[in-house]
Amino acid sequence: MAELTLEHVSYIYGERTPFEITALDDVSLTVREGSVTGIIGHTGSGKSTLVQLLNGLEKPASGRVLLDGCDIWEKPKEMQKIRFRIGLVMQYPEYQLFEETVSADISFGPRNMGLTEEEIKARVSEAAQFVGLEPETMEKSPFDLSGGQKRRVAIAGVMAMRPEVLVLDEPAAGLDPRGRDMILKGIREYGRCTGNTVVIVSHSMEDMAAYCDDIIVMAGGKVHLCGSRDAVFAHATELAKVGLDIPQITKLALLLKQRGITIPEGIYTVEAAVEALRPLF
Amino acid sequence: MKNIALGQFYPARSPIHALDARMKVILSILYIVCTFLCKNVLAFGALALSAVLLILLSRVPMRTILRAIRPILFIMLFTALINLFFTKGETLLWSQQILPFWRIDLHLEGIYSAAFMLVRIVVLILGTSIFLTYTTTPIALTDAIESLLSPLRVIHVPVHEFAMMMTIALRFIPTLSEETEKIMNAQKARGVDFSQGGLIRRAKALIPILIPLFVSAFRRADELATAMECRCYRGGKGRTKMTVSHLHFGDFTALLLVVAFGTGLILLNRYGFGFTMV
Amino acid sequence: MEDILIHAKDLWCSYEEEENSVPVLRGISVDIRRGEYVAILGHNGSGKSTFAKLLNGILIPQSGELTVAGTDLASPDLTDDDIFALRRQVGMVFQNPDNQLVATIVEDDVAFGPENLGVPSAEIRRRVDEALATVGMSKYAKHEPHRLSGGQKQRVAIAGLIAMMPTCMIFDESTAMLDPAGRREVIETFEKLNKEQGITVLTITHYMSEAARADRVIVIDDGRILADGTPREIFADAERLVAAGLDVPQCTALIHALREKGVALEGEPVTLEECADLICRALEGKNG
Repeated sequence: MAELTLEHVSYIYGERTPFEITALDDVSLTVREGSVTGIIGHTGSGKSTLVQLLNGLEKPASGRVLLDGCDIWEKPKEMQKIRFRIGLVMQYPEYQLFEETVSADISFGPRNMGLTEEEIKARVSEAAQFVGLEPETMEKSPFDLSGGQKRRVAIAGVMAMRPEVLVLDEPAAGLDPRGRDMILKGIREYGRCTGNTVVIVSHSMEDMAAYCDDIIVMAGGKVHLCGSRDAVFAHATELAKVGLDIPQITKLALLLKQRGITIPEGIYTVEAAVEALRPLF
Repeated sequence: MKNIALGQFYPARSPIHALDARMKVILSILYIVCTFLCKNVLAFGALALSAVLLILLSRVPMRTILRAIRPILFIMLFTALINLFFTKGETLLWSQQILPFWRIDLHLEGIYSAAFMLVRIVVLILGTSIFLTYTTTPIALTDAIESLLSPLRVIHVPVHEFAMMMTIALRFIPTLSEETEKIMNAQKARGVDFSQGGLIRRAKALIPILIPLFVSAFRRADELATAMECRCYRGGKGRTKMTVSHLHFGDFTALLLVVAFGTGLILLNRYGFGFTMV
Repeated sequence: MEDILIHAKDLWCSYEEEENSVPVLRGISVDIRRGEYVAILGHNGSGKSTFAKLLNGILIPQSGELTVAGTDLASPDLTDDDIFALRRQVGMVFQNPDNQLVATIVEDDVAFGPENLGVPSAEIRRRVDEALATVGMSKYAKHEPHRLSGGQKQRVAIAGLIAMMPTCMIFDESTAMLDPAGRREVIETFEKLNKEQGITVLTITHYMSEAARADRVIVIDDGRILADGTPREIFADAERLVAAGLDVPQCTALIHALREKGVALEGEPVTLEECADLICRALEGKNG
C-alpha cells in the first residue's frame, strides 16, 4: 500500500535546443492509497511522460515524485528498489516476453527481486489467477499464445512482483471487448485483493468510467481535472471541450439536456441513464 | 530517440548539395585518385586548398566536418610517426641510440613524408564525406549506387534487391532503435540492471532485450513482406521510378573541374621543390 | 452480375501449418457489390481477418467459391499473374502502421505501388501528389514516416493504395492501434473515398462505433456469418452481439433497458441524434 504524489513536477524534452517541448508543466497530484486511478488525456497531453516519471525511468526537470512521502530520486543508486515498489506495464507489453514458458516469464521479475523459489511459485500462480491464465497455459511458450493471452502474461509478469503501486500504460489498447474486459477486471482484482494502488493510463473514457475510482484528466501538460469519477464526469461538457472522447451515454445525456430534458450532466453508465430517464416517462 | 540522425547528412542549399548523387559518387572516386596523384609540396598544397574550398562550397559548418576526423585521429598519428622515423633520406637531422641494437634517425624527408601522408588522409576523409555523407541523403546514395551498378544486372548481380534491402534497413533503423529503448525500459521495470555486475552478468542481462527484439524484428519483416506483396511488389522486373534524375549542366561542370584539377596536380608535380614522393 | 465485386459461397479455410488444423472459416457465403461500405465485425479469432486475407490472395481457400473483381481465387490453376492483377484492384491496409511503409520519405512510399505496376514516371508523380492531397498529407510529402503519428502513417498507407487506383480497399483492423484522433482521421479518409470516388470499402473491426457508420454490417463468429444487415438491424439484437463477444452500443443498451422497464419506444436508433430524437418524441407524446 502506498500513496504516490507529484509536487510541482515539470518535464522538458530537448531542453535548451530549438526543439524544446514542455511535456509536463508544474504538475501536482496525488494518487490515493489503495485506489484505482485513471489518467486520461489525448496524445501529447503529457500522460505518457507522466508514466515514465512515476516509475523513475525519467527524472523530472524540477519538482519531486514522492512515494509515501519519500522522494524517489533521493538515492538514485537505489532506484531499482523503487522500481520493485512501483511496477510499470508499458504499452503493448506483450513484446517484452522472452522466456521459454509462460511461468518462467512471469517469474522473471520476482526472481530479480531475489525471492525464494517457494515465494516465486506462489506469486506466479497468484498473478496468473488475477489475469485469468489457465494452468495448462503456464507451461506453453509465450510465443504460441494469442495476442490477448500474451498481454495477460506480460501484465502478470509485473503483478507477480506485487508492486505497491501498479502503473499500466494503455493496458487494453487494440484488444477486442472480451480481451479488454478480462484484462481490466484482472487489474481491478489485483487492486482489490492486495489493497495496492493501481494507476491506469488510457484514452478510453468508457473504460475509465467502468473501472476507475478516481480520474485525473491531463491536457496540455497540466492537470485539467481530477477527483472521484462522479466529480470528474460532472464536468462532462468541459471534458468534451478538451477533445476527449466521452462515453456515448454521456454524450446522449448532454444532448438530451440541450433539448430541455431534466437529466444530470455527469451520467457515465447505462444504468444511471436508465435511472434518470425512467421516472420521466 | 525520434531525432536519431541517420548518417551525417547536413541539410543545406549549396552547389554540392545540388549535384546529382550519381555524379557525386563518381566525383568522390576521382577525388580519391587526385589525392594519390600528389607528389610534392606544391601539389599537396593545392590539394589542401581544394579541400578547404570544398568545405566552404558545401556550407557544412567546420565543426561538423572536424567530427568526421575524430575517429581516425589514431590512425593519422600512427601513420605520421611511421613516416616520420622510417623514411630514409639524404639529410639526417637528428639521431639517437635508444637501445644497443636500436637507433632512431630523423631525416628531413621523413618530416615531408609524414606531412604529406597527413594531408592525404585528411583530404581523403574530408573529400568523401563532403561528397557522400554530408551533402547526400543515405537514400539518394543508395539510389545512386543502384543506378551506377545497374549494368551488373546483365551478369545476374541482384542490384535492385540489394538497394531495396538498404532502403528498408534505413527505414527501420529508427523504428527498431525506438523499440530497443522501449524493451530496455520494460525489462528495467522488471528489475534488470544493465549497469551492475561483471561482464557475464551484463551479457546475461542482454538476453531479455535481444530475444524480444529479434522476435519483433522477424514479425515486422514478415508483415512488411506481406504488405509489399499486396502492393504488387515482384522484385525489380518491370518496375519504373517516380524520380528519374537527369544529369545537368552543373554536374558536368563539376566533373570537368575535378578532372582539370587532377591534370593540374600532375603538372604541379614537375615544378615542385624539396622532397618528392615516389 | 456486373456489379458484384466479391462473391463467396460456402468458403472453408484453415491454416495449414498446424498439425490438427481447425478450420478458421466454416462455410462463408456472401456477396458484396461495387461501391458498398461494409463493416465486418467479430472478436479476435472469429475468423474476420482470415476472411479479409482471402480477398486479395494472401491466403487461399480450401474449398468453396470465391471470386473477387473477376478473379477466381478458388481455381486450382490460379497463377501469380492472376493475383498480381487482383491486387491492382483490391488494396489492403494493415493493423500496424509501422510495418507497411517501405520508403524513408513519405512521397517515395506512396510511389512504391505505382512503381511496381510499371506506371510511367510523370504519371506516378501526378498520382502521388493527388493521392497525398486526397488523404490530406501533402504537407508531409518530404517527411520521414517514423516521425509521423499513427493516424498519419495509416493515411500515408492509404495514399499508397489510392495511387494504384484500386476499386476496393480493405482495412484489416487498421484503426486498432490508433488513438481516438487517429482513428477518426482514418475513418473519415476512407468514408470520403467511398462517397466521392465510389471505392468499395471493407473495414474489419471490433469497434461498434465504426460499424455503426457503415452501410452494411456483417458479424462473423466462429468462422461463420452470424448476421448480415444494416447497422440498425444488427444493433436491434443485443443478445446476438453479446454472444459474438462484442459490445452493445450504450445508446442501444439504454433503449433496450428502458423498454424492459415498460417504456414504449418505437424503432431502433443507430446514431446519437436518432436516439435523442426517439427519447424526446416519446417524452413529448407522454406529456403533450
